[in-house]
Amino acid sequence: MPDTDSLVRLSNVHLAFGDTPVLNGIDISVRRGEAVSIIGPSGSGKSTILRCITGLLRPQQGGIRVGDVDVQALRRERDLIALRKRVGFVFQQYNLFPHMSVLENLVAAPIKVGGVPRARALARAHALLARVHMEHKAGAYPGELSGGQQQRVAIARALALEPELMLFDEVTSALDPEMVGEVLTVIRDLVSDGLTCVLVTHEMRFAEEVSDTVYFTEAGRIVESGPPAQLFGAPRNERTGAFLQRAAGGVPARRRSDPFDSLFSFDPLRLAV
Amino acid sequence: MDNDLTLAPLGRSGWTAGAAALLRAVARDPWFITLLILAVPALYWTASGTTPVAVERLWYWWPALMRGLGMNVQISLLAMTLGTMLGLVVGAISLSPLAPLRALTRAYVLAFRNAPILVLVYFTTYVFPFEVPVAGWVLPFPDWIKVVIGLALPASANVAEIFRGAVQSIPAAQWEAAHSLGFARTQIFRMVILPQCLRRMLAPWMNLYASITMSTALASLVGVHDLVDTATVASNTVARTDFTILIYFTLLALFFAYCYPISRLTRYLERRHARH
Amino acid sequence: MTESLLEGWVAFARPFGLNYAFVLDAGERVAFVRGLWVTLQLCAASIPVSLVFGVLIAAGLTSGRAWLTRPLTALVELTRNTPTLVQLYCAFLVLNMLISQKLEGGNPITPFMWVVLVVALHKAVFHAEALRAGIEAVPGVTLEAARSLAFSRGEILWRVQLPLALRFALPALVNNLVDLVKMTAIASAIAVGDVTYESIMIWSQRDNVLELLLLILLYFGLLTWVVSVAGRWLENRLRMPGYGQ
Repeated sequence: MPDTDSLVRLSNVHLAFGDTPVLNGIDISVRRGEAVSIIGPSGSGKSTILRCITGLLRPQQGGIRVGDVDVQALRRERDLIALRKRVGFVFQQYNLFPHMSVLENLVAAPIKVGGVPRARALARAHALLARVHMEHKAGAYPGELSGGQQQRVAIARALALEPELMLFDEVTSALDPEMVGEVLTVIRDLVSDGLTCVLVTHEMRFAEEVSDTVYFTEAGRIVESGPPAQLFGAPRNERTGAFLQRAAGGVPARRRSDPFDSLFSFDPLRLAV
Repeated sequence: MDNDLTLAPLGRSGWTAGAAALLRAVARDPWFITLLILAVPALYWTASGTTPVAVERLWYWWPALMRGLGMNVQISLLAMTLGTMLGLVVGAISLSPLAPLRALTRAYVLAFRNAPILVLVYFTTYVFPFEVPVAGWVLPFPDWIKVVIGLALPASANVAEIFRGAVQSIPAAQWEAAHSLGFARTQIFRMVILPQCLRRMLAPWMNLYASITMSTALASLVGVHDLVDTATVASNTVARTDFTILIYFTLLALFFAYCYPISRLTRYLERRHARH
Repeated sequence: MTESLLEGWVAFARPFGLNYAFVLDAGERVAFVRGLWVTLQLCAASIPVSLVFGVLIAAGLTSGRAWLTRPLTALVELTRNTPTLVQLYCAFLVLNMLISQKLEGGNPITPFMWVVLVVALHKAVFHAEALRAGIEAVPGVTLEAARSLAFSRGEILWRVQLPLALRFALPALVNNLVDLVKMTAIASAIAVGDVTYESIMIWSQRDNVLELLLLILLYFGLLTWVVSVAGRWLENRLRMPGYGQ
């Protein structure tokens, strides 16, 4: 695959926290406009991969490229800041600023970091809020919103800097089940608009539905990767199959030949997270 | 932290390794280093007989300074004892179900927490008589006891607040559980609430003691012969610039040496409580 | 008209055994009012200075740089564990004297300034402790979010950490300011003409200690009440709706 096609490229990344190895040779490639999901058991290093891409964590070994920027080579804070303007990050715990209203949360970064004039930042903020269906809560404070509402605002906040790449770190894991759907709808819309997205998620059905490529990680290594129909329907590696069985609540995965089958054959009630 | 004295595991040369670790820890301790810094010139001066005049005068005045410090400690201990006893009573009343009693205690606490301690000390010193006729005898009412009362009053207001805060920090669920088991209010207090309160009160109470000790310095302004007063007298008597500098910084050091360990102990207790 | 009001007051107080005759003497009355004004000035000067120093010390303590945190921690421990009166003596009787000797007359620092400096610094240390606790109470995940939004370290401190730390620390800061107001009374120890000092001058002539102390207590009660009310107003304005539910 020619390098100019891939927006994100991780090559043989190794990372350890003190003596504990977390990533043991990760190779990931994300093309522009592609939606990639990373699935795997807890502690397999999925969230760490996302944080490496945006420079929040530094691996001891390996290469990370975002566009034409070598993330490992960035030393000065202002270079990291330039990188983070291009990469949007949405956290599991929403992490909105509690002392600012929804609107202020959205315009803070564009105005202070992006140097955007206030009027334009406000206009864009309103447009983004409409896109995530939170227009009516522009003046509310995070403490007054439900989890699903806060997460949608968090997504809008990450989009406010007009990033080329969006990273989602288990964004529905902290939500009550009835709010998961509204957040997934927003992500689905973003993917269909052509935004490059990398999702770490436990929502297997959703990952199968929106992704172009799925990576399965375990113990800091990529065990298997491929199109969702292949990885979910006919996993090549037995560990992938074992994980999917556990995730689906102990029901053996059936071999699927019809790609449309995958949309209807997973029973949502059996998906334990 | 380096200040922890941990015994090395017993190995081939078990206790010598432990002794070496102990020596290393002591050598790195800031208190030991300070002692060394003070001891070295002191030994040199005594040995060679070239003690600077200021230091010699300080040594001469040292017993008087210690007596003065003793007066401060005496005042602080007595004021804290009285303040605690009174404060617990006021605190207990402040939790009464009767609204007028609660209002009374709120006024008491408000009055004594919004009054400068210096003003309260002036109040008790000048307003109280200097002799008290009791049952035919005339007892002298020394100034330092008046200062004790002057400090005990704000101390009691603070103790009342600490007590009330500790009681209210016990989760309501414990009251409910005790009520549902049929305990009366006073029984719940005695058996469930108070034992827990005492632990929560310890750190703020020690903080208060440190603060009262520092306030005893104000006694010097009403003529009590405490440490600060002794230092002022000494400085005026010797009338040398270098001695004045030395004695006032010694004042600082003496108060620090008394209050700092209390503050460290308090923080240690806070951390231990936080783990519960 | 004021004369008759004052006479009315003196007459009113006499049956209670309180002698307020000093208010009828022009010299003493003026001195007392001047004392009220000086105390007010001490408070008005010390409060902002203590807050500024408090923020600086807190920023230094949380900077993570050893060459800043170690001397600052030593300063904090020294200031917290020694009486303000002794600090004031050290500053005024020692430092001031040294400065005067070096400058040979023409020392620009007045006793008033020394009181403001010492009291403000003493309270700044307590402010710094409260602010530091507030800064450390800001959840790490909120800071991570700010970093991911490309904020620089300085902007994170100014726009996220300090606003949240201020809200967490506000009750403690207001308490400290109430203490600060009360502490200005030690100005009388170095003959700065605050209300306590002027009262001492008056009562040493007229022996009406109780009457003057009552007035002083009322005045300080008023000042501390104003500070508490201002604190509560600020708490309401900075309230984060829905936080902590």
